[in-house]
Amino acid sequence: MSNDIIKKFQKAQLLLNNNAYAEIKGNSDYDYLINELIEYIEENENDQYIITTQTIRNYQEQEKRRIHESIIENPKTREIRSKQETPYEVILDVTNKSYTDGDINDLNKYFNSRYDKLKKIIQENPEFKKINELKTTKTNIDNLQVIGMINNINNTKNGHRIIEIEDPTGTGSVIILNDNEDLINSSQTLVKDEVIGVSGSTNGTLIRADEIVHPGIQRHKIIDKDMNFSIVFISDVHIGSKQFDEDSFNRFIKWLNGNYGNQEQQDLANDVKYLVIGGDLVDGIGIYPNQEKELKIKDIYEQYAEAARLLGDITDIPIILSPGNHDATRLAEPQPALTEKYAKDLCNQKNIEMVSNPSVVNLDNIKVQIYHGRSFDDIVMALNNYTHADTDKIMQLLLEKRHLAPIYGERTPLASEFEDYLVIDDIPDVLHTGHVHINSHTKYKGVHMLNSGTFQKQTEFQKIYNIVPTCAQVPVLNHGTLQLLDFTKE
Amino acid sequence: MDYFGMLEEKTKELYAIAREARKQGKDLELEPEIPLAKDLAERVEGLVGPEGVAKRIKELEKSMSREEVAFQIAKEIATKDDVEGQPNDYEVQEANADSAIRTALAILTEGVVAAPLEGIAKVKIKDNSDGTKCFGVYFAGPIRSAGGTAAALAVLLGDYIRMSQGLDRYKPTDDEIERYVEEVELYESEVTNLQYSPTPDEVRLAIRGIPVEVTGEQTDPVEVQNRDLPRVETNNLRGGALLAVAEGVIQKSRKIVKYAKTLKIDGWDWLEYFTAPKSTKEEEKKKEESSENKPKKKAKYMEDIIGGRPVMSYPGAKGGFRLRYGRTRDSGLASMAIHPATMEIVEFLAIGTQMKIEKPGKGNCVVPCDSIEGPIVKLKNGDVIQVNDVSKAISIRRDVNEIIFLGDMLVAFGEYLRGNIPLDVSAWCEEWWAQEIEASEYFKETHDTFGIDFNENMELNALLKLDIDAKKAFDIAKKTNTPLHPKFTFYYNDVTKEELNDLHNYLYSLIDSPEDVFKSDMNRIPIDYHKRIIEVLGIPHHVNNKSLIMSNDNLYTLMSVLNKSLSPDEDMETIEAVNMISPVSIKSKAPTYIGGRVGRPEKTKERLMKPAPHSLFPIGNYAGNIRNIVEAAKKGTIKVTLAKCKCTNPDCKVSSFKALCPVCGSRTELESSAAKNIKLDKLLMDAFENVNVRRLDEVKGVKGLISEDKYPEPLEKGILRARNDVFTYRDGTIRHDSTDLPLTHFIPREVGVPYEKILEMGYTEDIYGKPITNDNQIIEIKIQDIVVSESCGDYLLKVSKFIDDLLIRYYHMEPFYNAENRVDLVGHLIAGLAPHTSAGVLGRIVGFTKASCCYAHPYFHSAKRRNCDSDEDAVMLLLDALLNFGKTYLPSTRGGSMDAPLVLSIRIDPEEIDDESHNIDCMKRIPLEIYHKTEEGGVKPSDVNDLVDNVESRLGTDNQYHGLMYSHPTSSIHAGPKICLYKTLQTMTDKVESQIALAELLRAVDQKGVVEGVLNSHFLPDMAGNIRAFSRQKVRCTKCGAKYRRIPLSGECTCGNNLILSISKGSVLKYLDISKDLSHRYPINPYVVERIEILETGINSLFESDKSKQSSLDAFF
Repeated sequence: MSNDIIKKFQKAQLLLNNNAYAEIKGNSDYDYLINELIEYIEENENDQYIITTQTIRNYQEQEKRRIHESIIENPKTREIRSKQETPYEVILDVTNKSYTDGDINDLNKYFNSRYDKLKKIIQENPEFKKINELKTTKTNIDNLQVIGMINNINNTKNGHRIIEIEDPTGTGSVIILNDNEDLINSSQTLVKDEVIGVSGSTNGTLIRADEIVHPGIQRHKIIDKDMNFSIVFISDVHIGSKQFDEDSFNRFIKWLNGNYGNQEQQDLANDVKYLVIGGDLVDGIGIYPNQEKELKIKDIYEQYAEAARLLGDITDIPIILSPGNHDATRLAEPQPALTEKYAKDLCNQKNIEMVSNPSVVNLDNIKVQIYHGRSFDDIVMALNNYTHADTDKIMQLLLEKRHLAPIYGERTPLASEFEDYLVIDDIPDVLHTGHVHINSHTKYKGVHMLNSGTFQKQTEFQKIYNIVPTCAQVPVLNHGTLQLLDFTKE
Repeated sequence: MDYFGMLEEKTKELYAIAREARKQGKDLELEPEIPLAKDLAERVEGLVGPEGVAKRIKELEKSMSREEVAFQIAKEIATKDDVEGQPNDYEVQEANADSAIRTALAILTEGVVAAPLEGIAKVKIKDNSDGTKCFGVYFAGPIRSAGGTAAALAVLLGDYIRMSQGLDRYKPTDDEIERYVEEVELYESEVTNLQYSPTPDEVRLAIRGIPVEVTGEQTDPVEVQNRDLPRVETNNLRGGALLAVAEGVIQKSRKIVKYAKTLKIDGWDWLEYFTAPKSTKEEEKKKEESSENKPKKKAKYMEDIIGGRPVMSYPGAKGGFRLRYGRTRDSGLASMAIHPATMEIVEFLAIGTQMKIEKPGKGNCVVPCDSIEGPIVKLKNGDVIQVNDVSKAISIRRDVNEIIFLGDMLVAFGEYLRGNIPLDVSAWCEEWWAQEIEASEYFKETHDTFGIDFNENMELNALLKLDIDAKKAFDIAKKTNTPLHPKFTFYYNDVTKEELNDLHNYLYSLIDSPEDVFKSDMNRIPIDYHKRIIEVLGIPHHVNNKSLIMSNDNLYTLMSVLNKSLSPDEDMETIEAVNMISPVSIKSKAPTYIGGRVGRPEKTKERLMKPAPHSLFPIGNYAGNIRNIVEAAKKGTIKVTLAKCKCTNPDCKVSSFKALCPVCGSRTELESSAAKNIKLDKLLMDAFENVNVRRLDEVKGVKGLISEDKYPEPLEKGILRARNDVFTYRDGTIRHDSTDLPLTHFIPREVGVPYEKILEMGYTEDIYGKPITNDNQIIEIKIQDIVVSESCGDYLLKVSKFIDDLLIRYYHMEPFYNAENRVDLVGHLIAGLAPHTSAGVLGRIVGFTKASCCYAHPYFHSAKRRNCDSDEDAVMLLLDALLNFGKTYLPSTRGGSMDAPLVLSIRIDPEEIDDESHNIDCMKRIPLEIYHKTEEGGVKPSDVNDLVDNVESRLGTDNQYHGLMYSHPTSSIHAGPKICLYKTLQTMTDKVESQIALAELLRAVDQKGVVEGVLNSHFLPDMAGNIRAFSRQKVRCTKCGAKYRRIPLSGECTCGNNLILSISKGSVLKYLDISKDLSHRYPINPYVVERIEILETGINSLFESDKSKQSSLDAFF
């Protein structure tokens, strides 16, 4: 072990004295410290060849300084922003609306709420105005419409697909015959616990589906709104992680403050009126086994304090902050907003609006639905040919299903609230997600669907699974079109 | 008659009884269903067939090794012609191949484990894309029970069979290869970790290289992405196949290469990729490790610290268990002895409690031995005493302030040999000392008795009683030029040189010279910080009136040894420095400390299914969850799924579910099962009448039958079991489970059996060759005799009464056991059976122990493929198994024939059993050379194996059956606690409190570390796991037991009953309070504290309505 330390420095052509050695050895995470020190010396004290405790002090000082380096706003930017108005309204926020006691009755209420809400949306379709209750489908009916929540999906040996659905009155088995190729194909993307409408006929035991409808989006309802400003979206910053790309993040903040980039980019910055953060601002603690080893800041309070220092340089545009699965709030969705207990400084920052996950905000007439994206894991597991990189495809599905986390019982923990806040009640102008660390942006039926990537470099875990994150690439919605800025390079 | 003859005779007697009873046709089979097997060959035939293979195996065994036999047999079966002279069609080839691989695998696994039956689902001849035919082996989950080597050999066997049938090699498609890659990853993330996790490239290499398809049936309901491949039948994980590839072929690549070479099977050279580079890599790594300073002491057992299972000692920590080599009559085969006083003081260790240890293995079971050293403890009044007897331990344990030393752990040489772990330095102890004296020139010339009757080859007990005082000890050491006697050797290595110098100065400031010590009867040493040094040196002393008093002998020794200041040389160890100044040589008293923690508690308990039935008779939900047949019968007629048995009488042809037609009394034939209405009230009444039993209040049945045929047990058997308060297991047998412990010698008195009875069983002499004439002689146990726990004896007594009832009332025969008390069962036969195996081993009850375990000869445990690091298994009365075991009751699911006595080995051949038992030490003394070898450091046991006497060296001779001596006597095999504290304390809070209180007492344990450990590896993962599970849980019906993945929208079960959560709030909350409390009381890592806080935030948010929070605030204002 001891030789190990010395060897590492030798490789970098450095020596170290006894006290420095003792201090490094005493550090619980000395491997990391060694690399940091070597990097520090290469960059700052490259005339040094012996490391002393003074060197370590210098390194620590500079670490502190670097963290505190305030990123001053460009006067021009300040002037522009001081004049502009940034009205916003929180439309959906579940914080302090968690009424569940965790009883089984609450669980029942939760799914009934989901069913009722989605049924209502499906019934906007005139064909489903009048529907048959499932308990009444045990006789021969030639023409029926039912609305049910999916219990189970099975394929038969002959290539038929059987979907078991239920409504509050009972259950029914829907068969999609193998010769109905279109329906077989379109039903590939059905998942458990979503709510669908079925029209067809029944012989009393099986409902033969002629058509399956989702709550869906009706395009004609979406009007492309005028937008004469820009919104910036980020997520998955993972402050506290050793892989947090601090340099890029600082460049991002510099840019936002009007001090970075070419003229065009600076102009874009001056056009920004809102910053939306879609969860996992910090890396958190205890999220996965042995996370401690991957953390630069091992204290959750410190992580949020650091986040507050970094975001503290952004002073005059509203920041909408929603949590993710790494944040210090309950894991079960919907997740209430971060509280003062953990994120005191952030809560105290005047221009930060803490919201839940999911939440909906109206930013000067642009309606943004924020959802971190935990349920993507379930969709990828459940469906063929979907990977974590396909967030555009997944978001499209979720919009059609009008539910952010339809699958119950897998990766995404769901809290049994009395109302299902994960239902997409109204179609937003923007659906903002994160979680997978891979950027994407498309427009579907008039809705901007975007995933805001990450500020965390590739982790060991991602290396193993060959996941390449799109680090430090920030989507900006600029006057109704999407632009992607890259902060990875100087 | 010899012993085995006696056993065989007796077995046949029971067989005759069972045969007579079965002949009456009241059971489905007319013969007992457990074939007897005298040796491996017969077991193989009994287990998997084919008929006549036993004879052929025996022929081949004469000239071939076991492995060669297996492959030869495989080839012969695989190529057997169905019709002479004509080529076999694929169907026959498949059938042959199936039989071949199972038989050969059974030979390789000693015909004991269930893997040949259950681990291989089927074999199939399949198509390659180029039109050639290849061969697929379908593995199932239970291949695990065979172990990695056997799984790998099964693949090699598959290849061998493929070649002998002239099939082409398996040519995987790219998709198929990627499918394996994905499955390995998915298996590890969703199911469990593999012992060896291959990288994707390693998997690719392996799948391309293995010439047969290693596939299998689905084991886990986890779907892969890479779906619908034409040649792969399932889209779910194939756990068996993954085990065979990763833990089999890849992990055991070296063995496979070796076998392939010796058996001349081509096409496996590619495996050298796995063997060659890794071996050099590993060696390099090892070299690096040894060349650099000692690597961080991190022992596996410290990785998870579990609530209520205390850490006894940190790895190598001073004051932990002192390594002492030797074996007592109840240790070996992974059980290791400690002093019963240690067990009593720590209370968390009882006889048979498992410990996870630092070395030489991963785990052991503790057994008592009172000829080794007990613990040294400091009492609250400041006294330091060594506790060497149990009653003393009990009387002082509430006064213990610190456990300075835990005492000895007696570890057999064989334990090091098993894993070929380099020998650690031995403790300096009497048995070593004596041999040093004997080997000295002085002694060889003079045979001096030193005035204390010292003699050659003294037994340890006599050695310990030698009347030796300090002056004599110095005298002997000087005369013989040997190290000072261990009694006067202190733990110098546990203190620093500075401390010893301090102590030297202090003592010499009080007393002028060692000789002056004896001027006074009692030398008072004023107490100050020097007391701690004396404590750590392990010198017992009393505290009286602010001064400390040790024996004059010890004081004299201390002053004589520390006669001047020690060398200040920094590089010199304390013990070396001491030896520079000491007038005689001083050995390190405890050069090796072994760390460990408590593992699984000991166990001895009847086997109960949940809920426990008296009878394998189905009654559905007609009596709720209690499954009381009497209650269900009140409903009159019930509808259950049962076998259909058609009467063979052509004039009758009535269907029933009985072996004898209820109408005409003819035998019936099994047909398919179906749901039908039965008049349970009438049936039950008749059954009561048939066995002449007045109505009972409770006869428990099962909800439904899980067997293929759904043939129910006759109700009469259930009634008689209920009458005798015994319960059946799923195969119709009655079992009692205990922790396995080894025993090579017993004393009639301690096992509660008069010596006359022992004589009747064919024992003739004690270990000294003297005739047995009283209850106190030490007798070597015969290899199939067992000492069961008293609780087991009492249960088996009830079973014997049930059997007698069954014989009299149901089969109308004579009773057999007529046992009044458990001693009457002595001499009766039992079958021992381990889980994952399918072969019972014949045993005979020779006595009873108070301990919660089953003592038996190491061979007996090994024959069941068990060792003694907390494995547990079952015994059943042989006649019960013969009368009541039915293959028809076995579950039709995969793994159903595991843990079922499909064949009975009636004779143990030490050469045919697991070779772990060949490492059992048989020595009266550890040879002096071995002690010296341990001092060299790094000596591999295999290199000095020829110096020791163990079973291996006796194999094949008559000496394998007797003369297996022990080196350390013990006065009782059940001294010390019988039940450990973990089991007597009820709540987890109490357990953890006691665990932490113990950590406070133990010098070798860091209390804060234990608290963090419990939180980190037990409570936090448990809470985090439960809270996550809570928010995605299933619900379940309280009445019919139906489960729903998601609660139905109606909110109720289809049966109309209420539903409940499957994960309660309680299970999420159960460790929260104690975790918070611990985190407040101890200065633990803030990271852990914060994790608890965050979990609490999450829990509160889930279980407390924001409304109630608000209203409680409202009430406040």
